[in-house]
Amino acid sequence: MSQALEKNVYLPGKSAKVALFYAALALAAVIWFAPVITLVLTALKDAGDFAVNGAFSLPKSIRWSNFTEAWDTGVKNYFWNSVIVTGFKVPVGIILESLAAFALTHMRFKRADRVFTYILIGLIVPIQMTLVPLTLLMNALNLIDTLTGLTLLYIGFGVPFGVLVMRGFFRTIPTAIIEAARIDGASYLRIFFRIALPLALPAVVSLCILDGVATWNEFILAQIFLRSDELRTLPLGLVQFSTQFSTQYDQLAAAVLISVVPIVLVFLFFQRYFVSGMGGAVK
Amino acid sequence: MATLEQPLKIKPLPVRKAHARRTREDYLRFLPWLFLSPALAIYSIVVVYPMVYSAYLSLFRWDGISPAKVFVGLQNYVTLFTQNEVFWIALKNNAIWLVAALLLPTSLGLGLALLLNLKFRGSAVFRSIFYFPAVLSVAVVGLIWTWIYHPDLGLLNQSLSAMGLKGLTRNWLSDPRIAVYPVIIAATWNAVGLPMLLFLAGLQTVPMDLLEAAKIDGAGPIRRFIHVTFPLLRETTLIVLAITAINALKAYDIVYAMTNGGPANSTQLLSTWMYFLTYNYNTVGQGTAIAVILFSLTLIFAIPYIRLMTRKT
Repeated sequence: MSQALEKNVYLPGKSAKVALFYAALALAAVIWFAPVITLVLTALKDAGDFAVNGAFSLPKSIRWSNFTEAWDTGVKNYFWNSVIVTGFKVPVGIILESLAAFALTHMRFKRADRVFTYILIGLIVPIQMTLVPLTLLMNALNLIDTLTGLTLLYIGFGVPFGVLVMRGFFRTIPTAIIEAARIDGASYLRIFFRIALPLALPAVVSLCILDGVATWNEFILAQIFLRSDELRTLPLGLVQFSTQFSTQYDQLAAAVLISVVPIVLVFLFFQRYFVSGMGGAVK
Repeated sequence: MATLEQPLKIKPLPVRKAHARRTREDYLRFLPWLFLSPALAIYSIVVVYPMVYSAYLSLFRWDGISPAKVFVGLQNYVTLFTQNEVFWIALKNNAIWLVAALLLPTSLGLGLALLLNLKFRGSAVFRSIFYFPAVLSVAVVGLIWTWIYHPDLGLLNQSLSAMGLKGLTRNWLSDPRIAVYPVIIAATWNAVGLPMLLFLAGLQTVPMDLLEAAKIDGAGPIRRFIHVTFPLLRETTLIVLAITAINALKAYDIVYAMTNGGPANSTQLLSTWMYFLTYNYNTVGQGTAIAVILFSLTLIFAIPYIRLMTRKT
């Protein structure tokens, strides 16, 4: 179908049709992107300009100080907390998840299907279903209001998706490769680190990105288990920021934009991995 | 003597061999568990055990602080259904949310996937634009849309006024009769990317020659979609529907960021109301009972999904 339409689109004499196609698509894209454009414009103008001309107008003069002020008002802390939590959670999680996925795919293991189903349950559990016992548990372990505790929770909740993605990829590695290495006398741990993990590099990168974005964006566990302001991660800090400075739209927009920048960079540079990662989760 | 010695020398060998083989087999049987144990341990402690314990707690009356838990059987569930008006509002909102999630992001995602699967110049840029909201934090999406809906300064009311539709402007998030719908629209903006991505991936598996053959047989684009493409996307569609339904029932952050359940509890969901009951009103039993109800609703969509994911082995 795509080839057929491609021909249609590029047929000479149909340029009006092409122009119409692009115009309609561009209009839809602008409407779709309007919230993001509004955000950027708001972050760049001062509060007075915003109050007079509204959100969707070009700023009279670009006001970069919104960003520095937001950064100094607390976003700096939130940002580094998010960096710490994501920086620990993602690599540790991926190692655990890959080890488990490897056991489920390339080791002779009779209960693999049952264990996999047990792990999949975690994909569907509403977090509310775990909150009260987790509060008791974290309290008992003195982990409430610590980034360590939050990171541990993130690792636990990340297991199902990570195993799903890595298992999907490991299954595409031919058993013959693993068998050959076994016959050559390599231990499973060696095969895992020297053969399976390097072969699965695209999946590892995909998972890093999807997992990194999800961790960076997580809200509810942070909301329940972080209490003090200086420990808040970005999404939580921003919502708090918005209730405290509800009228300072310029600074708030700048703060939101700062939180989005790392995601945008990751998105731009590693875009194709979003697709392959999700594909791995489905196949 | 030599004849006696020989069997004696040989005998111990097979015994030792058999023993070695057994320990090696034990080791090989044990090894997968060793690989699994770090992930399984933390997952069981953080997800599975709390889940089971929540279900148990929902049978007690408890304030979350005092050591005394009073066993009340299913009383918490009865109370929710018979005496808790907000529970019904939340249940209704969840139902509306679920229907909207099954219709809007899925059909928009499919439409965009079909459109952006065409190979035209700039298609990658458009893919990025339409996918982008999906990578944003849901809390951030909530904040952005709160400004869009701002009664005076918000983009929506300003655009309506500019188009001469001032009569349609309103205080979107402050009217209890309608407040849940603007929140759902904001959630949809964030939720379209995933179905779009999954459908795009699914479309890559539709064989080109089938479509060519249908075209030669005289089938137009719409008939080609209905009779060739869509049947081949059946599995993708099932996965998309299951995932969007499960995600819809998980919705929480966006309501918290936009309305915090208000005005007058009109935008409460089971997830947010669970939070209020547990952490604000200290009725832990009722809170966990809501969590169990929410989980049961999720299971309706999740069981076919899990079947689908495990069947392929």
